[in-house]
Amino acid sequence: MTLQLQNITQQFKDGDDTLTVVQDLNFEVNKGELVAIIGPSGCGKSTVLSIAGALQTPTSGDVLINGENITHYGKNDLADVRLKNIGYIFQASNLVPFLTVKDQLKVVADLNGTWDEARADELLESVGMNDRKKQHIQHLSGGEKQRVAIARAFMNDPDLILADEPTAALDSNRSDEIVALIAHEVHERNKAAVIVTHDESILHYCDIIYEMNDGKLVRH
Amino acid sequence: MFSLSIKEMTFFKLRYLLIGFILFFVAALVFIISGLANGLANDNASSMKQMEVNSFYLAKDSESRLDRSQFTIEQADKAKDATAFGVQMQTAEKGKDGKKIDSTFMTFENQKLVPEVVEGKAPSKTNEVIVDKTMQEDGVKLGSTLYLPTVDKNVKVVGFTEHFTYSHTPVVVMKTAMWEKMGFGYNALVSTDGTPKQTIKGDWSTKDDVVAQIPGYSAEQSSLNMMLSFLIVIAVFVLGAFFYIMTIQKVQQFGILKAIGAKSRSLISSTMLQVFVLSVTSIALAALFAYLLPALMPAGMPFVFDPAVVLTYSAALLAVSLFGALVSTISIVKADPIQAMGRVE
Repeated sequence: MTLQLQNITQQFKDGDDTLTVVQDLNFEVNKGELVAIIGPSGCGKSTVLSIAGALQTPTSGDVLINGENITHYGKNDLADVRLKNIGYIFQASNLVPFLTVKDQLKVVADLNGTWDEARADELLESVGMNDRKKQHIQHLSGGEKQRVAIARAFMNDPDLILADEPTAALDSNRSDEIVALIAHEVHERNKAAVIVTHDESILHYCDIIYEMNDGKLVRH
Repeated sequence: MFSLSIKEMTFFKLRYLLIGFILFFVAALVFIISGLANGLANDNASSMKQMEVNSFYLAKDSESRLDRSQFTIEQADKAKDATAFGVQMQTAEKGKDGKKIDSTFMTFENQKLVPEVVEGKAPSKTNEVIVDKTMQEDGVKLGSTLYLPTVDKNVKVVGFTEHFTYSHTPVVVMKTAMWEKMGFGYNALVSTDGTPKQTIKGDWSTKDDVVAQIPGYSAEQSSLNMMLSFLIVIAVFVLGAFFYIMTIQKVQQFGILKAIGAKSRSLISSTMLQVFVLSVTSIALAALFAYLLPALMPAGMPFVFDPAVVLTYSAALLAVSLFGALVSTISIVKADPIQAMGRVE
């Protein structure tokens, strides 16, 4: 089991009220599975992803990554979990603005102390960006940026890939291309992956589909 | 993270160049003012600084002021292990055309204290004097006659000294025989070693105290030093504000880097490294600028580049800019990795 969420509840304070976004949620993803979470905007699916991704700590419940309970980890340990075990693909590709395509991959590798140029070349080749690896990202289109972000997510060989609306900024042709690429990489490299999306046209690439409803996940 | 911070600086050249320029100009201004303070101090008291004396015996209640201390020739004769020293600020007239030159007359009983002659010769006859080179600007040459209207006497210039001024006026050094002939008294007894006990009434003062009491010296130095300290304080705020704005602008980026696994510590050291590189470069260039400046300035400008002083102020400015940057690192610590989950702009 690569990712397990056990009895997760997430509440936010809104003035005097307490808003419950996620209620007693259980969820798991295994190696080689590409799981989609769908639902209308504001339903809490990104919250689930950020909890799974160690970006925020739930109000209650446990998060296990590779069987390791990270719920009570401090900031630095969480940063290490994110660095070594999780690869992110964000809605805005969130690349570092002043670096070249190849350096985007080098940053995460350097943080981890494991720069392997051949691996970076191989990843850029497989996302079709090898011929543009020396360019600064300001010269890339939205779809190309997402390809680089996908390569970056796989750079440190994490077990878990999390994608938060990776196609929101792309047109439908590009969306399909990007999700096909994510699905391909996830299956070929035998990773566990979660895609949060509201774009139902891409669901045929996913192995399991959950729908977020009233703070719970319902399997389709 | 070293390459990351350098790559960022080379990519956002203009942004970092602007901050570098501010640092450069602040540092250059600090160096120029300190050079000026140095130069004025030299111009004012170079004769005293050159004099190899460590203490001055001044008449009672003269508060370390040479002009307030008076000894008669007879009193000076009673000096024990100390020698007489006379200083008189006078207006001399140059030869027949009567051009007036503000100058300071000095005499040393101890011949070892007479400054070195760089042009001409040392005085041998009673009426021969040596004068500071700056008098050449007033047309004084070897062989010129200086007339002292207050005592109606003439002296003849036979040599020039260098860097021997007092209260911004050139010093005229004469023999004690001439000094006494003019009817001047002495102002102090000087000792090159310790503070031997004297029979006549008075107190020993250190050279530093006497220099500080030269008319105008303290006023000049303290106003320049006040400017310098204000500049340093201004630098703290200006640099602090700039680094703060620069860091605030990058909070989103710090959040993203944290989301993909960077720790606050490495982001802080990367930022501090940038500031360090930027500061060292700018300050070094400013020091070079201050070093080359005397070549560009008019000859009479009192400006002295003192490497020790420049190094001290460089260290202070570097500390100030690192401190300014350190304050802004609070926002790096606060940057939340969840910002990476944001919507597309």
